[in-house]
Amino acid sequence: MRLNLKIWRQAGPNAAGRLVDYVADSVSTDMSFLEMLDVVNEDLTKKGEESIAFDSDCREGICGTCSLVINGIPHGPDRGTTVCQLHMRRFKDGETVTIEPWRARAFPVLKDLIVDRSAFDRIIAAGGYVSVNCGGAQDGNAIPISKDIADAAMDSAQCIGCGACVAACKNASAHLFMSAKISQLALLPQGQVERQRRVLSMIEQADAEGFGSCSNEGECEAVCPKEIPISNIALMTREYVKAVLAAK
Amino acid sequence: MSSRIRVFATSVGTKLLIGITGLALFLFLITHIAGNALILLGPTAFNHYSHALTSNPLIPVIEIGLGLIFLVHIYKAVTMYLGNQQARPVAYQVKKGQGGPSRKSFSSTTMIFSGLWLVLFVVLHVKGFKYGPYYASEEEGVRDIYRVVFDIFRSPLQVGFYIVSMLVVGSHLWHGASSTFQSLGLDHPRWTPRILALGKVLATVIAGGFIVIIVYVHLFAGQVGQ
Ligand code: FES
Repeated sequence: MRLNLKIWRQAGPNAAGRLVDYVADSVSTDMSFLEMLDVVNEDLTKKGEESIAFDSDCREGICGTCSLVINGIPHGPDRGTTVCQLHMRRFKDGETVTIEPWRARAFPVLKDLIVDRSAFDRIIAAGGYVSVNCGGAQDGNAIPISKDIADAAMDSAQCIGCGACVAACKNASAHLFMSAKISQLALLPQGQVERQRRVLSMIEQADAEGFGSCSNEGECEAVCPKEIPISNIALMTREYVKAVLAAK
Repeated sequence: MSSRIRVFATSVGTKLLIGITGLALFLFLITHIAGNALILLGPTAFNHYSHALTSNPLIPVIEIGLGLIFLVHIYKAVTMYLGNQQARPVAYQVKKGQGGPSRKSFSSTTMIFSGLWLVLFVVLHVKGFKYGPYYASEEEGVRDIYRVVFDIFRSPLQVGFYIVSMLVVGSHLWHGASSTFQSLGLDHPRWTPRILALGKVLATVIAGGFIVIIVYVHLFAGQVGQ
């Protein structure tokens, strides 16, 4: 299989970037998308050219490091998958594939396809944790949580913080990411103590980072590799209202 | 954080405010079309309805409230739009709709433009009717607003402008009517799909209903005296 690639190359954060054409020859349909890029990079290295910088780590869809917009869709054409889980059999021989980085003011490009997602870390640091000391691990059954609640919290907790929601949103909004974290902790007993503080400071931090607001289009839900729904955003709004009303 | 004023300054607070005002404007539009439908019953019913409204001492207060709701909705939506534009300074070379569960539509991507069109429309609309020509009806002190309506919609140009504007209203509501619920945090696995569908039905019924009234008036305008 042979593919025509158009890949965003950008030397550094302040450099101007552009799409550069590459040809990927002898691509096997069994390769993953990232393996295909590895092969392209090996060829570049052999030719003495600089390889294409892109992010990846686990390559099994659990770490959220890989982050490519493929033909206009973050994480590519398959629903509920990350780029590293995408296979080349999804593409046709001779197809042109455009590869770009996440684009958002809050996710500046560092090099080529790699962006700086530390804004997400700062949102989490603003309140996406439980800091109440509760001593040693208790017996799991000591805190009863109904199955429904546990499932809902688990669904929200699936967020891997990849940032595809921001990349897909026309407003580059971080609401889905934030709301997944807020929902997860608001649903569980351990998250109650800091519940109100958390929602207020996380939203404040996201706004300060330069993410946009939300227009309820749900493009984020459609690209989320963990298929986290925007009902989380509605829950975050309710949490916000409660926190505001209860604020001292 | 969270001095009470700043509550509506955050991205979530902005949504809340646009949602609340949007819902209020939507409810207003429903009462508006219900009142307009009285035109189908003839001049007496319509003029009496209009008189009952304008002679009510509460109406000026409600008008000011409605005006403020409009202003807040417009101000918040425009500033949010400008802020959102800044959140992605470098555009994608290739961008596709994400499909699947996404609610994105022509309507949702053009909210700011349909909204700005409607600002212009509302100004011209209020100018043409509320502050339009005063004709006395046969009854003492009752304005013949029925005649104003027929006067205006005799002109094909006005009919054209109003029909386009009603299509714009329909488009704005197609996304906006149900979106207000999500903005207010109202979501439910059983009800949300119904709210989404109902929003589209009401958008169609309201825009279609106004268009029916406009066309009806235009067609029968010749039969009503100059
Ligand atoms: S590399 Fe870990 S999710 Fe793709």
